[in-house]
Amino acid sequence: MSRAVAAGLVVVLLLLPWVGTGEYPLALLYSTFMYAALAVAWNVIGGFAGYLSFGHATFFGLGGYTTGLFLVRTGLSPFLTAPLGAAVAAGFAALAGYPCLRLRGPYFAVVTMILGLAVRAVILNLPWTGAAEGLWMTLPPWEPLVARRAFYYAMLAVALVTALAGRAVRLGKMGVGLEAIREDEEAAQSIGVPVVRLKMSALILSAGLTGLVGGIYAYDRSYIHPDFMFDLHLSVLAVLMALLGGRQSWAGPILGAVVVRLVDELLTVRVGTEAARIIFGLGLALVIVLLPDGLLPHLERLRRRAPRPPAAVPAAEARL
Amino acid sequence: MAQVLQALATGLLTGTVYALLGAGFSLIWGVAHVINIVHPALAVGAAYAVYLLAAHGVDPLASLAVVVPLFFLVGVGFHEGVIRPAVRRGGDLVLVSMVLTFGLAAALENVLAAVWGPGPRVVNVAYTGRAVQLRGLVLPITHLAGAGLAAVTIAALYLFLHKTFPGKAVRAVWQNPEGAALCAINLRQVTSLTYGLAIASAGVAGVALALIYSFSPASHLMWLVFVFLVVIVGGVGSLLGAVVAGMLVGALTNLSTLVIPFAWAPFLLFASLGVLLLWRPTGLFRR
Repeated sequence: MSRAVAAGLVVVLLLLPWVGTGEYPLALLYSTFMYAALAVAWNVIGGFAGYLSFGHATFFGLGGYTTGLFLVRTGLSPFLTAPLGAAVAAGFAALAGYPCLRLRGPYFAVVTMILGLAVRAVILNLPWTGAAEGLWMTLPPWEPLVARRAFYYAMLAVALVTALAGRAVRLGKMGVGLEAIREDEEAAQSIGVPVVRLKMSALILSAGLTGLVGGIYAYDRSYIHPDFMFDLHLSVLAVLMALLGGRQSWAGPILGAVVVRLVDELLTVRVGTEAARIIFGLGLALVIVLLPDGLLPHLERLRRRAPRPPAAVPAAEARL
Repeated sequence: MAQVLQALATGLLTGTVYALLGAGFSLIWGVAHVINIVHPALAVGAAYAVYLLAAHGVDPLASLAVVVPLFFLVGVGFHEGVIRPAVRRGGDLVLVSMVLTFGLAAALENVLAAVWGPGPRVVNVAYTGRAVQLRGLVLPITHLAGAGLAAVTIAALYLFLHKTFPGKAVRAVWQNPEGAALCAINLRQVTSLTYGLAIASAGVAGVALALIYSFSPASHLMWLVFVFLVVIVGGVGSLLGAVVAGMLVGALTNLSTLVIPFAWAPFLLFASLGVLLLWRPTGLFRR
């Protein structure tokens, strides 16, 4: 995507709430920004470094619980404490990340999944977090439309920060290092890539951004419970969106998030939640079978009008 | 003391069932390098099949005659129709298999919820609620039946893998696919066979679990945790490892409820898993 198009898009999104846009489109866009931020954040460790986390809901939930508890205890607005939520999630990633990142491939995936379930079990048993009753927050006495606008801008800001961070990592030196780790960790280490430091930084950054999203989401929901703040579906959804869009680029997950969010919304509105989940699950399976590299490489190819066999995308082309 | 022995006994019985569920999962992971998230969901499906048949007066043990062949075919079809096309397309096998099978598990869960509702179900048979007394230990017959079923199935799997030619071929492919192919072993057939066996064993585990526990469409997530624990503690692809790990997990979960509040039991399990991973990342029994 060229810079001008991206800048134009951001301006349109910034102005959108003031051209008579109703609550529903704003809410839909809000959740799209949220999904996009989650997917881009996941991609920093899962896509660039190839460490497939299936437990990013852990960081999301930690961020949400941090802002929630701050609001309940001190009255500080989550719009202010969201960065603290990010810090808590990042801190947890720093602690848990070291042992986890010693594991590779399927082991890392499984352990991160278990980690999320473990943190959920802990929160469910800590009385000061509201435990199994959940935590209620009071929203400021805003008009519904005002509240929607506020959350729209908050999540847009989070998504932009996340996208810029993802872009900076991908295009910077760190991205090269992470790519080397993904392709061959031993070889990367032997030529002097600081493997442990890079993996840790990627996980901490990814967790922090995910915590930021969770912090805002919790406030919007105004009631949080471990069951949906640490939901495994959310972890897998982040993976799916990045996978669908294309894991090699920083922008791919955004595309994946937009597609997933819109399809999900359409299905839920048209056929109801249960049937939507069935279709969604099967569609997900189909997408994986048909498009293992994601959408973006195919779109790129279309744009260049240079058809190639749908084999693996060379590393040089992977950079966007 | 009696309490401890009682907890240990029940824990070992349920642990045997976890071992069976973990063994099939471990077999697919070992032979095909696929993390089959839908494995416990299929077991839940089997539990519902038992529920359906029990409503028509069929004993859970008799329903095995339907469940085992059906699930064997499901396993073969799952490999030929879903996994193989996905693998041939390339991509990261761990990622593709986990997302793919999670999608299938979510779909299956919601199909079950659409038919039977999200609430828990219990299979009632003639011997539900009855127990055998043994030196002060109370052993429910349903637990004994479930554990016995699991133990017999594990033994059969072990004998098959170690004593028969096709079983040895499965192990050969697990150890070294290229080498196995050079010995004229048909990789596709053997992998299909592995899936058939593993999914059939998931069916049996589902029958056993239906005897012991109540279940709901969402139960598969909790069972998935136990499966992960069994496989990671026992080591991928190791049948005996899965047996020991299953019993260990079952016993530990039950014993811990004596010392700490029930709700904290899962946490203890996860914490011990974390320590284990730091100490021996590939499990206790990996060769």
